[in-house]
Amino acid sequence: MIVMGKIVAVHSYKGGTGKTLLSVNLAATLAEHGRKVCLFDLDFRAPSLSTLLKIEKTECWLNDYLNGTCEIDKALLDLSDKVRDSGKLIVGLANPATEAIRDMSAKDRKWEMRALGRLLALRTSLLNDKGFDYLILDTSPGLQYSSINAIVSADLVLVATTFDRSDVDGTRRMLRELYDLFEKKTEVVINKVLDVSSKAGKEEIQSKVNDVYEVPLLGIVPCFCDILKARGGIIFAQEKPEHPFTRILEEMATKIDKMG
Amino acid sequence: MANQEVAGRKPLQVLEKIRENLERLNDKMEVMIELQKHGRKDLQQPLPDAPLDVMTLLSMPDHLRKTAMTLCRMGRATADEISGQTKRARAVESAYLNQLVIMGHLKKERNGRKAYFFVDRENQR
Repeated sequence: MIVMGKIVAVHSYKGGTGKTLLSVNLAATLAEHGRKVCLFDLDFRAPSLSTLLKIEKTECWLNDYLNGTCEIDKALLDLSDKVRDSGKLIVGLANPATEAIRDMSAKDRKWEMRALGRLLALRTSLLNDKGFDYLILDTSPGLQYSSINAIVSADLVLVATTFDRSDVDGTRRMLRELYDLFEKKTEVVINKVLDVSSKAGKEEIQSKVNDVYEVPLLGIVPCFCDILKARGGIIFAQEKPEHPFTRILEEMATKIDKMG
Repeated sequence: MANQEVAGRKPLQVLEKIRENLERLNDKMEVMIELQKHGRKDLQQPLPDAPLDVMTLLSMPDHLRKTAMTLCRMGRATADEISGQTKRARAVESAYLNQLVIMGHLKKERNGRKAYFFVDRENQR
């Protein structure tokens, strides 16, 4: 049972681990479960949600909200018509224009501090006042200001990772040297796994995650050719409800829902 | 008549002033106690307005980070309210909060008997 809304940051050490795929489909799945969900693209250096959702214009971008030039209401787009059942799905987008990306890359510490304040204020404006059950933050990879701001603001951090060696090493360091310092509840999602067909294979992955990362494993996502073929063009949770990937997302969403 | 009023009010004002001064003295003593406990390394470079950004939070000693993070979440709070979240003693939180004020990361203002701490994000330019 949900007592109050939760902020979930989806982060990774390296790019290309499936953060956006996970964020979008998790948001859609939670909305399909009847939750009121808000999904924010906080990857200001490589915005992708606007392309994935085929939205070219909006009254305000999240860049404007963090710059303090618009209220959060004006940066919200209602996509609830794409969700079955009674769920609600709202998105906030990062501006994909080159000039906007350049502008966000040149922000100083004081701007980042004010941006943190505005992200923290979302708990009141979205979760408390508007009654959202979830605010999902799709972040930039690695240790960048915008992603660390999102982690500090979050109640739960989902780390998308693969078995790529440099990703494993970097993720392990990040868990110990960043998340531990902020005392964040963290769960790992292993993506693009080649062999999870057998029970023994799953147990081996579970054991590896326990040994290497020492944090709970939320889910294992096999490497699906269908996902690669879709090239980021579809939201599986909406368009392919019977797909194994959607089923895995449903299990993850149920686990998150049950977390206190 | 006027003399009686002055005579009746003055001791109260004096006592109130003494109480305020004692509270300020207490705050300073708590900071000194904490400084002795952790050494002076926390205050090596006190800045008048040091932004409390995430990198600053990361570089803080653990005991101060916990207090700063809690205040970031709460926005504005007393030492007692912070203590309720961190489960550490009020006097300890008061000392850490005052340390963070001295370091330039937080602001402090009094409202009657209560001292409120907050991050002044908007006024830092």
